[in-house]
Amino acid sequence: MSIIVEVAKELLGMFLADARLTATTLVLVAIVAGLVLALRVEPLLGGGMLLLGCLAILVEAAVREARRRNAT
Amino acid sequence: MVTVAWSVAGPAIGAAFLASLVEVVEAFTIVLAVGTLRGWRPAALGTVAALAVLALLIALLGPLLDQVPLHLLQFIIGVLLLLFGMGWLRKAILRAAGIIPLHDEDAIFASESARLTEAAVQQRTSLDWIAGLTAFKAVLLEGLEVVFIVIAVGAGRGLLWPAAAGALAACLAILAIGIVVHKPLAKVPENTLKFGVGVMLSAFGVFWTGEGLGIDWPGQDIALVVFAALFLGVGLATASALRRPTVEIAR
Repeated sequence: MSIIVEVAKELLGMFLADARLTATTLVLVAIVAGLVLALRVEPLLGGGMLLLGCLAILVEAAVREARRRNAT
Repeated sequence: MVTVAWSVAGPAIGAAFLASLVEVVEAFTIVLAVGTLRGWRPAALGTVAALAVLALLIALLGPLLDQVPLHLLQFIIGVLLLLFGMGWLRKAILRAAGIIPLHDEDAIFASESARLTEAAVQQRTSLDWIAGLTAFKAVLLEGLEVVFIVIAVGAGRGLLWPAAAGALAACLAILAIGIVVHKPLAKVPENTLKFGVGVMLSAFGVFWTGEGLGIDWPGQDIALVVFAALFLGVGLATASALRRPTVEIAR
């Protein structure tokens, strides 16, 4: 039973290691999907937003964690 | 016959190979501890059982994925790759900057050996069972990430088998090196590999998510290489900006 729990934890940890990074990425994808699919915004513009948004989220997540660890 | 450009197949196979290399090194350390302390029979049995479970997982998931429409599959896998790849890259940046410690295979080998020795003192009757289970868990848990990466980088473009071949090549390479050196592979530049894999998985994530949304990337598959270069550049720049000054230790 403990192996199943550990497998579940491992799977969850694969995608939820940093909850805020996960949440902001999902919000970004939802916004881009809404713009491209519902509001018919130029797809390439949506693609650019997705790429730059992901890069910004990555930098913010690394800087936030570094600050948190430096503060403790 | 469907032909796939090397600009997509290359990164897919490379990502599967490098990611597997990292995970197999981690699993190998624990299997080595089990084999050294409790003999190779439980270590081999645990490893083979875990590989069988992982193979079963791929055999079950493979046909299921064929049923999902391509754009939806690319979108779902793309989002999962973004979450997983950016998570890896974030951790690799923090390790490269010295914010969190590097993975230490020698330390893991020592702690796993101590844990097994302690278990040997407490439970004399089922030592081989505990040892086999330890190897099983290590290979299964590390292998789960390999399975995900193989499916994720392979399923979007019918590259499941080339990606699986990349992962298998990594397993065989580590096995061959491990048999020769017979100690934890502490000299493998794990964080550099993780950095590279995180970059590739994040680039694949943006690419597949976009394709799933119907975005025609300029340059088609070449865009993947551009995305990887951008993630690499931003990742290195962030690690450099966050790097702690090296502290000289007085002797």
